[in-house]
Amino acid sequence: MIGAIRAVDAAPVKVDGRSFVIFQIDRRRFALPAHRIAELAPPVRLHAFPSTTPLVAGVIVRRGRIVPVCDAAPVLVERDNVPHRFYLVVRLAAGDASTGEDENLVAIPVSGECELASADTRAPEGRPAYVASSLSVHGEALDVLDLEKLMALSSRTERGALEEVQP
Amino acid sequence: MKIAAEGKRPRAVRHSEPAILFSVADQMFAISAQAVQEIRSTDGLVGEASEIHAPVLASVRHTLNHGRRNLYVVNACAHFGLPAARPALVLILRELRVAVLVDRIERMAGIPALHPLPKAFSGRERRWYRGLTYVDGQVIPVIDPQGFISAAEFEQLDRVNASPLAAQLESAVPS
Repeated sequence: MIGAIRAVDAAPVKVDGRSFVIFQIDRRRFALPAHRIAELAPPVRLHAFPSTTPLVAGVIVRRGRIVPVCDAAPVLVERDNVPHRFYLVVRLAAGDASTGEDENLVAIPVSGECELASADTRAPEGRPAYVASSLSVHGEALDVLDLEKLMALSSRTERGALEEVQP
Repeated sequence: MKIAAEGKRPRAVRHSEPAILFSVADQMFAISAQAVQEIRSTDGLVGEASEIHAPVLASVRHTLNHGRRNLYVVNACAHFGLPAARPALVLILRELRVAVLVDRIERMAGIPALHPLPKAFSGRERRWYRGLTYVDGQVIPVIDPQGFISAAEFEQLDRVNASPLAAQLESAVPS
């Protein structure tokens, strides 16, 4: 079954700067800017091999590309081996001309289908450094993740660095 | 609503490079066939291997006297942080003073393309692998032979093993 991203409200949602894709890891929901989402992929085979980068579990192959998998559950929900139903494939910052990459993708294992919502964000208060902003959807406060920061922090060995709190 | 990925793909280097696929603790790796000079059984090393009394690296605990070269023996399980296994073979590398203990050779294969290691990988694996390849539906890391022991680690090892190496070098110099 291929995953689908459905709109929170019945009315069509125009994808703009206020649009976010809401996804679930374990029982918690998080958001990412909609324009960063490349695809909601089925749970294809994870190819794991020895590495020392925390949170990077291996790679998947999608449309002929090798896409690294960032399993953020140990940081975001403090649980290992959370069952996942899909991979949310996300675009990171611009690619690398030296490798010919013009798109830098990463796949996040997610626990269910995703929703597209439109909302205003506000500055996060007292949230970890990897939270870019907060938004409220039907009264539920959600963290909008800064994936680059999460992955950059993940390369530090100290778990404490992942839990640095913003002022 | 489905959103599909668009845009150019990362550039894989297209070539067909003969490679040896080998396993360590049930993990498969590829190494360029050109990087390997010889494959031997560990049974045949008796008398040629010596223990390093003050190991510098957890993965290097023996030296191997191979012809006129003294090689450092890298245990691939320890190098890659894999569960301990019982290595049955040793890959003697060409142009490097390195021999690598592995469990078994799977087969020879042509590497159809070498994909760069995604930038998300930021740890020691950036030194270990030249990239990734996709063979028979499986993504396999392609070893960088120079990643087994760095130049600084060679220096450290040589310093610790100075006496035997010095003796070997002296005996190798024609009078």
